[in-house]
This record gives sequence, C-alpha cells and structure tokens, in this order.
Amino acid sequence: MGGMRPDIASQMVDLCSALLLLTCFAIIAQRRLSACVDLFALQSVFLAGTAALVAFLTGIHHIYIAALLTVIIKVVIIPRILKKVIERLNVTRELVLNVNIPPSLLICGALVILAFSITQPIISLGFLLTKDSLAIALAIVLIGFFTMIARKKAVTQVVGFLVIENGLFLAATAAAYGMPLIVELGVFFDVLVAGLIIGIYTHRLQDTFDSVDTSKLTELKE
Amino acid sequence: MDVALIGLIAMPLIAGLLSLAMRTRRSMERLQCAHAAVLLVAMSVVVMNVAEGSVITIGILLRADALSAFLDLMLAFVGATSLLYALGYMGEESTRGHVLHRRYRRFFCLFNLYLFAMLLAANVDNIALMWIAIEGSTLSAALLIGFERTKAALEAGWKYIILSFVGIALALFGTVLVYYASEHVLGVSMEALRWEDLYRVAAELNPTALKLAFVFVLVGYGTKAGVAPMHTWLPDAHGEAPAPVSAMLSGLMLNLALYAVLRFKSIVDRAVGADFTEPILLGLGLLSVAIAAIFLMVQRDYKRLFAYSSIEHVGIALVGFGIGGPVGVFGGLFHMFNHALAKSTAFYAAGMVMLRRGHKTIERVTGLVRQMPLVGGSMLLATLALAGMPPFGLFVSEVLIVTGAYGRGQWMAYVFLGLLAVAFATLLSQVFRMALGEPMEEGVPVTDRTRRFTASALVINLTAMVYSGTHMPGFLHDLFLPMTRLFGVTVEIP
Repeated sequence: MGGMRPDIASQMVDLCSALLLLTCFAIIAQRRLSACVDLFALQSVFLAGTAALVAFLTGIHHIYIAALLTVIIKVVIIPRILKKVIERLNVTRELVLNVNIPPSLLICGALVILAFSITQPIISLGFLLTKDSLAIALAIVLIGFFTMIARKKAVTQVVGFLVIENGLFLAATAAAYGMPLIVELGVFFDVLVAGLIIGIYTHRLQDTFDSVDTSKLTELKE
Repeated sequence: MDVALIGLIAMPLIAGLLSLAMRTRRSMERLQCAHAAVLLVAMSVVVMNVAEGSVITIGILLRADALSAFLDLMLAFVGATSLLYALGYMGEESTRGHVLHRRYRRFFCLFNLYLFAMLLAANVDNIALMWIAIEGSTLSAALLIGFERTKAALEAGWKYIILSFVGIALALFGTVLVYYASEHVLGVSMEALRWEDLYRVAAELNPTALKLAFVFVLVGYGTKAGVAPMHTWLPDAHGEAPAPVSAMLSGLMLNLALYAVLRFKSIVDRAVGADFTEPILLGLGLLSVAIAAIFLMVQRDYKRLFAYSSIEHVGIALVGFGIGGPVGVFGGLFHMFNHALAKSTAFYAAGMVMLRRGHKTIERVTGLVRQMPLVGGSMLLATLALAGMPPFGLFVSEVLIVTGAYGRGQWMAYVFLGLLAVAFATLLSQVFRMALGEPMEEGVPVTDRTRRFTASALVINLTAMVYSGTHMPGFLHDLFLPMTRLFGVTVEIP
C-alpha cells in the first residue's frame, strides 16, 4: 500500500472515479461537439490517473502500461481523429436534441442511483481499496448508453460509445485490479480499430448523405 | 492434431494478408480455393479427434472441446463454401465493373479476416480473449456490410456499428463481472478467465455476480445473435451486405454469438442452477419467433425475408435451450447446425437472383425455377428446409423442440406451434411466388466463369443439407454426447 493508510488510499481512488462520473454529466450538458470531445479526453486523463493510482497502491505493475496506453490512445489519438472529423464535416453544435439537457441530467442522476442499487449485493465482494468503483463504472456505462440514444449527430454517438468504453475500463482496472496484460492490449487494439472504422464511416456518411445527422438515415424501414 | 487446430485458425489470417497481393482474378481464385481446401482438411482432423473423446489444448490460449469443434465444423464448412461463392459473386461484380480490382482484393482480405476472428473466438480458452475475437469479427463485419457504399448499405452499416458496439460493450461488462467473481476463488491471474478453470470452480463463484453477468452477456451477445428486441440491425445488415457476407452473417455469426451465450450459460448454471437462465432464454426465444413471424408477412425484399427468417430460427434455438433437458439442448444445437446450412444456401441463391435481376423486390421476381433451374431449385429446397419440412434436419430439431415445449407447458407449446405455422405459411407463399410461374424479366445472365464457382457452392451446400437431414453423421453423433454433458444433461441419440 506504499505506506499509505488504507482508508485514505481508498478515498483517493473513489475521488478519481467520481471525477470520471462528473465529466459524464459535463458531456451530457454540453451542446458543442468539440467541447464534448475535449471533455472525453479529460475523462480519459482521469481514467489514466485512476489506473496509475491503483497500480501504485497495489504494486501491480502492468496497470501502468494500461494507464500509458489510455493516455496515448484515448487522450491523444482518438480525440484527434474526432476533431478532424468535426472540422471536415463543418458541424459544431447539436441544434436539436432527442432529449433536452435538463431532463437528460435528471435521467442521468436516476441512472447513477440505479447503478448503485444493482451492484449493491456484489460490492462486498470487491477489494477494500476500490469498493465503490464498480457502481461508478456501471453508472458511467449507463450514461454513455443514454448519450447514444439522446443525441442525433454521429459524432456525439461516438463519444457516447467511448464513454461506455471508459466505464468498462474503470470496471476492469479499479474493481478487478486489471485484466491480464494480453487481454488489455487486445481491448486497446479493438478500441483503436473501432475508432478508425467509425472515422471511415462518418466520412462516407458525409460524402453520401451530406450530413452526419443520424435521424436522416431513414432509407431502411418496414 | 495441434497442427490442425493451429492451421485451421491461422489459415484465414494468412490467406487474408496474401489476398492483398493478388494481382489477377485468377490468382485470387487459386489462393482462395487452396484456402478453402486447407480449412476443410484441418477442420476434419480437429473434428475427428475431438469426436473420439479428446480435448485439444495448446498452451493456455487455445482449447477445442466438443462445443468448439461443433462450431469449427460449421465455421469451416460454410466458410469454405462461401469463399467459393464469393469468388463467383465478387468476380462477377468486378467483371461488370461495379467493383474495382483494388476493392475486390480488399473484400477478400476483410472476408478472410472475418472468418479468422470467428474461428479464433470459437477455439480460444479464455472468456476475455473470446470477447476480443468477437469484437474483431464485429469490426470486419462492419466494413463488409457497408462494402457497396450505397446509401442503404451505409445506413445499414452505421446501425450495425452503433448497436453491436454497444451490445459488445455490455458483453465485456458481463465478462468483467465473471472475472470479478472468479478472481476471489482463483486469484488475480489468467486462470480466472479460462473456461476449464471456471467450470472447475463454478459452484464456488458468487451467484449474484454471475446472475448479473449473465444478463449483461445475454443482452450483449444476444444483440449480435439477432435476438429480439435487440434485432433491429439484422434485417438491414443482411439485406444490404453483399450476398456472401449475408450468408456468413446469418449462417455463422449468429451461431457464434449463441455459442458465447451458451458458454456463459453452462458456467452460470453450475453456480445458480438452470432455473435462472432457462426462463429468460425461453422468453426471449418466443419473442424473437413472434416478431419474426409478424415481419415475415410484410416483407417485400427477398433478402430481408431471409433475414427475418434468421431471427425466427435463432428464436427457435433459444426456445430449445430455454426448455433445457436432453430434448431441448440437443434440439437447439442440432437446429443451429441445420440452420447454418439451409440459410447460407438461401442467401447464395438470393445473391444469384440479385446478380441476374439487379433488384430485391419479391413482387417483380417470378419463374426462377424455369429461368435458373439450379438457383431457383436451391432457393425452393432451402426454403422448404427453413419452413421446417421433412426430409431436412430443421424438421427433426423443430419437432424435438415442440415436443420439449409441450412437456414444459401445453399453452406455451400451442403458442409456439401457432407462431411456427404463421412463419411457415408466409415464408413458403412468398418464395413459391418467386420460384414458380413464368419469368417476367430477362435480366443479365452471369458469366460461365462465375457460374462455375457459385454452382459448386450451391451443390455442396445442398448435398450436405439433404445428407444431414436423412442421416446423422457418425462424428456429429459423437460430438453431441460431450456437448450436452456440458449443460448437465446426457442424451441417448438413436
């Protein structure tokens, strides 16, 4: 435990996880697309911080590698791809939302409560250090899910998907002290390729439909 | 036999990378034919060895037991015939100038990588690496679905990306939950992710964590399997993807996703008993059959028609697993196998109609049997099989599942039978309209070179379909016993 008192260490991990959750709310409350991407990058910084903290406190070294990869892929590469897409598409704001911002925030609050109540019975299983992280991780996954439903622009849907990924990563690192290294490398590879494919698709959507408003995808219906 | 398993998995990867270097259509044809032959040989060695009762393990990463070998059988067989078919289909597209040679090569690269990811997922001995492989198959499929770059294809691809990425993320959460439970027994280690060790300690795992994990895994992989109500991407993707891709999606990927669900079910059942998983599977299965039966009636596009029929058949297999017991489990597994054969045949035929007529509207297609005897005949036979007529294997499995359903509750069996009857009638009437009568349009006949490949794929698939309906091949019989044991039941197969 690096000479630190366990309760303080645990509270530090909780603080980092809570910051992750907070950025989710900021993303939900944000209309400007490039700000959403910045917030996602900020969230990934917190995620890397949490992972590094867990690695330091537990002495499991391979989590450092995961933290480093998070910085490279989720703080640098993917936000850069998304920024390029936004620039090229010339869209800056979500003008019409499926769900407006105030009700969105309320729904997300409810999702957090739901996540805590779902995970309550199994939280006692977890390590002392990272007890509450599983609930927070599930809350982040659910909020990411909601973002994908509540927003129309392809870019924000992608941010929602990436937020879900961050929640999953928090679950794996904080609640389960990291998956084996080969697994984490595989997951990172998949996330990176997914980011590239989504980039390719948004380009093609723009070329073909002159828009990335997914509510215009209405060709295929019963 | 280690070599065979490694060869089976590595061959599509190698062939996929080599495809990018093929300069002519002829060299691509040679490469892919060799690839298909290697797949079949390697698969036979693996299946024969496992059927004799051994489990092939290589290091800590690969493991082929009966269930994996069963998947290998379907993946390699349908994979090989769809490679043949794709040589014809994409070759024709390239001859007609719809697809440049650069994209023709890229198609085969993606197609082979897709097959590679699925074979890896079926044989990897680790729940998290399986997730990575399935995600890999999702990624390659996403590019294959939008391959034709029409508005509709892009829309279908986008829907597929959004839904299946979310689905697969939820499946990862379920996987992490299993790990969260198992590392308390096995420690923070690779063992806590291996199937074999999970089976060993399943009874000691925390039941609540496993229940929660199963729900996430079912929703996640269920999305990939096209289980209602997460099925909405499926008709679009199957309808808009090039026909060889539709055949792989329907015949193989749905089964692979079911395989993942079944693996988790077999662990969760050991920890909390089958009473938890069975009602959920039964409910979702019935819902899928019901939704498919309704939407089959209103279809005007023949590829979407077959897509909804896939949702129906996934539902039927789930009903089988939900009923459980020897009859249900055997019925469900046998159903998956026969559906893979029949549905890939149907999509091969549908693709040929598409090439000839250039559209997918059911009303404008008539007289297929007269105009294209092999294609029309195959479509008719595959539809008869899909509708559940004897002498095809789907008849056997459907009868078994209905019998099992009757044992579970009479009203349920009647509802299930009623839904099957609706699906039966609509599917047959729609396809009869296309197959019989006088052809209205002449269309553009395909070249002989194309026909050589597509016809052989159709004939091989038809032969296997008829054969497995009338006989139970010995090796398949030997695989079923250990497979059903995995689900805690033992079957005496006549």
